[in-house]
Amino acid sequence: MKIKHTFVYVIAVAALLFLEQCSSESTTISPNGGAQIGTGGSLARFAISGNSLYIATNQSLDVYDITDPVAPARTKKNMLGFGIETIFPYQQNLFIGANDGMYIFDNTKPDAPVLLTKYTHVMSCDPVVVQGKYAYVTLRGGSGCRLGGGRSFLDVVDLSDLRNPKLVNSQILLAPFGIGVDGNKLFVCEGSGGLKLFDISDPQKPMLKKTMADIPAYDVIPNQKTLIVTGEKGIFQYRYDTAETFDLLSKIAVE
Amino acid sequence: MKTKNTAFLLLIFLTAMLSCREQEQDEPTDGPRFDKTAYRPIYATLNNIETLPPQPLRKPGKIYIRGNILLVNDIGKGIHIIDNKDPKNPQKLSFLKIIGNSDMAVKGNFLYADNASDLVVFDISNASAPKLLKQVFDVIPVKNYPDLVQIYFDCPDATKGKIVGWEKYDTEIRPRCYR
Repeated sequence: MKIKHTFVYVIAVAALLFLEQCSSESTTISPNGGAQIGTGGSLARFAISGNSLYIATNQSLDVYDITDPVAPARTKKNMLGFGIETIFPYQQNLFIGANDGMYIFDNTKPDAPVLLTKYTHVMSCDPVVVQGKYAYVTLRGGSGCRLGGGRSFLDVVDLSDLRNPKLVNSQILLAPFGIGVDGNKLFVCEGSGGLKLFDISDPQKPMLKKTMADIPAYDVIPNQKTLIVTGEKGIFQYRYDTAETFDLLSKIAVE
Repeated sequence: MKTKNTAFLLLIFLTAMLSCREQEQDEPTDGPRFDKTAYRPIYATLNNIETLPPQPLRKPGKIYIRGNILLVNDIGKGIHIIDNKDPKNPQKLSFLKIIGNSDMAVKGNFLYADNASDLVVFDISNASAPKLLKQVFDVIPVKNYPDLVQIYFDCPDATKGKIVGWEKYDTEIRPRCYR
């Protein structure tokens, strides 16, 4: 009888140790899916965090459980009103671009994002990217974005207090689409107006450094010093490692 | 469930009402000026998803990267899968024909994309020959009007199938729908 008890005890301890190891192992490998998960441009409506796939539909933020990757199941639908356009995941937050503002969600629990606030701006088409404490938002005022058209802007929003974002800088653009940020560089797509390069060494004050009018640009992904640009002429890739150089690496032309 | 469906239908109906005001003869007083151009819906008649060999780039849309793989959406048509190990020499590997596509995201070897109102999942572990694994039908609301304002467009006809895009055309006849 005594032996039997000891045996059960040993098994139980072994099982616990095993479980412990399992959980610590899974957290050390990839707490958030890590490099498993790819990166989209600023105009994306799809994004993944952990085991959650997000789809920004015209009027909601939908959450799908992809724990079983081939059986996505919608677990949540956050209704947000009209004109929802883009989603940008950054650290523990989701930034949703809408025609009339930017929604900020706390994403600590990827399967249950919590709305923190809605930062409201003039009606426009407006992707958003975030780096550090600042969000960079382009506001396009053209046809399809705002009745009567009007001016377009690049806005810098201070996110020090996520519940109370503050506009710190605004400058006029032509007709912006996507936007990308990496270190001290900010890339703005001006559609047929080309690609603009801003220096954001002072993150509050983007300084225009270069306009490449011959590269129609719709969206960008800056990735390890390579900038991938998509536009009506094709896919262009550039190296941007030093302060001023910006070299074409390759292009896949539209046929 | 039934009430949910009814509510959904009602929502669609209301959206249609709001987005598509109809008027019979004269140019509507609150409508845009008619310049003999309008937009008409492109309907998905054959919604067959296919894995094709590399295709020419036509209308590049959104982009997505995962490791050395670069994905490029061809607006409304599908996704180019590109080996971008050497950004100086990207190589097209295959093309996923997905009607109405504009978005994508990848985790591991699984690619998630929109196929008009459907969500589709592919296995891209062999990027030269991705495999369709799953379709989740009618989960992404598709707008029944073009993404533009101050324009006329042909009123959608639900009997013709799902709308996967809009095209501009010249016409002497002013369509009844506008926004």
